Amino acid sequence: MTTVLFYILGFIMLTATLLCITRRNPVHAVIYLVAGFFALALMFYLLGAPLAAAWQIIVYAGAIMVLFLFIIMMLGLAPQETPEGPGWRRWGPLVLLSASLMVCTVLLIMQDPAAGKEIGDFYLAPQAVGESLFGRYVLAVEMVSFQLLFATIGAYLLGRPLSKGEGQ
Amino acid sequence: MTPEMLSLSNSPGIFIGVMLVKILVVFMVVMLSVAYATWWERKIIGHMQTRLGPMRTGWHGLLQPFADGIKLFFKEEIIPTQATIVPFLLAPAMILVPALITVAVIPFGPDLHIGNFLIPQQITDLNVGVLYILAFAGLGIYGIVLAGWASNSKYSLLGGVRASAQMISYELAAGLTIIAVFMLSETLSLREIVALQQEPLWGICSFVPNWYVFTQPLAFGLFIITGLAEINRTPFDMPEAESELVSGFCTEYSSMKYALFFLAEYANMIVISAITATLFLGGWSAPLNWGLFNMIPGFVWLLAKVYFLMFCFMWLRATFPRVRYDQLMRMGWKVLLPLALANVVVTGLVVVVLQ
Amino acid sequence: MISVYHYMSVAAILFAMSTYGVLTRRNAIVIFMCIELMLNSVNLTFISLSSHLQNIDGQIFVFFVMAVAAAEAAVGLALMIAFYRNRESIDVDNINMLKW
Repeated sequence: MTTVLFYILGFIMLTATLLCITRRNPVHAVIYLVAGFFALALMFYLLGAPLAAAWQIIVYAGAIMVLFLFIIMMLGLAPQETPEGPGWRRWGPLVLLSASLMVCTVLLIMQDPAAGKEIGDFYLAPQAVGESLFGRYVLAVEMVSFQLLFATIGAYLLGRPLSKGEGQ
Repeated sequence: MTPEMLSLSNSPGIFIGVMLVKILVVFMVVMLSVAYATWWERKIIGHMQTRLGPMRTGWHGLLQPFADGIKLFFKEEIIPTQATIVPFLLAPAMILVPALITVAVIPFGPDLHIGNFLIPQQITDLNVGVLYILAFAGLGIYGIVLAGWASNSKYSLLGGVRASAQMISYELAAGLTIIAVFMLSETLSLREIVALQQEPLWGICSFVPNWYVFTQPLAFGLFIITGLAEINRTPFDMPEAESELVSGFCTEYSSMKYALFFLAEYANMIVISAITATLFLGGWSAPLNWGLFNMIPGFVWLLAKVYFLMFCFMWLRATFPRVRYDQLMRMGWKVLLPLALANVVVTGLVVVVLQ
Repeated sequence: MISVYHYMSVAAILFAMSTYGVLTRRNAIVIFMCIELMLNSVNLTFISLSSHLQNIDGQIFVFFVMAVAAAEAAVGLALMIAFYRNRESIDVDNINMLKW
């Protein structure tokens, strides 16, 4: 069951990512990416992390990607196609190299003796995550919240309409 | 022999059968409620405006939903030539499906004791139930945005852009109001949240149940407002504003696809009412701890609460004009969000002090 | 049978693909999406290792990564709007003001 699910999810995620990075139209790319994030969230669930799966959907699929769609539509980028990317002649060798590197890495880690251990019997309840977050990591949580606050202020400052005499 | 919880491991056949029956029943109830919500809304708004509403089809227009359905079914299917076909066709389903999926975690009664098994009256009990609801509530937006984008019409696109901005702003406040609830419940499972709300109020008054609307009145109000904004109901129906955007993201839609948008709107209304009832109004539990009330089955109470909240939403529609877009944004970011944050802080303080 | 290495392989492939995306695309928004994908592949390794080592910390770090990604998305998209105002385009080839 877990095996079948893993392969299906992995296939969906990788295909969606591949399509996402090759589409010319940014709206298509966003949609493929949402599909990929969804598969990723299900994979988190498979790994016994229901809370992370829920965060993944709420934060990425529900908020960040909607923000991307909003910006793409507001700037009117949807209909125009992005120009052709660099050709295969220039980038082919790099692709080939990194692909063979990838294959080597995958083969290597598959041969590791510890790879035989079955995964997936670990399940983390939301309460445990909450206790750890607001107990041991409370300082980091505060820092991240400050970062979010600064990001909000920064986004506001960048996005506000320019006043007269500024930005020339 | 003590009864055990029916699960996939102890008797898979019965489990799957019971699950299918539960899914079918819940689906039928939601769909029938959606069909009659359209009739009900026309009736209520009609009477509030001293009209009669639909009267011709059946007794007091009771067959009106079917007449509407048949009419829309036989209308001509029009697909604009400049539309992007696939997302254009899929968008209505993309709004409806998340709404229907959300119902899966709403409990509608106590555990049934049949034979040797305890069967929960809930399709599934996730231990991240509340987050599941937030997650799927956020996904419905893709249907609206894609419908607006795929139609390739400026009104539709404007509707889609408005919908996405509105969703991002109000989902934040909705999430924060729910946080105050599960700070009290200390669990994310809706089943346990309902169980906690059946205890005596504040541990003293045994006659009244401990509904979170009594301890969290502000969160209740905020959740109703943000919920209305999230499902694009009337004071906040900016994405489909008929009078400014020619019904926005569904301008180019016709026939059954338009009917699907309608179904999705009412299904979303039912879902948001059911969530509000479960989180704040005690779910399927009776409003007073009294013998006669406790004899009425749980799903009746849940449906009564859902229909009452839906009546309130229709009432709001008949009463309030549509807010302007900048007012909507200002309210979301400068009023609702700080209020929700303050509510979280105060709730936290009270919880700590009471410990 | 699925071991932690299967998940790690998926994460590695994901990371490689998104790196390719960052290097080849010219639309700044798509590049930005590829960066989000890279963060996500790291999240997948965190969670699979947290499950493998029976340790909670991996999931906590996923929380922090997501918070950082949200902040990054807000500031980055605001930058893109600001840039679009000046140049009427978000093609990275047009972002060449530092090349003088």
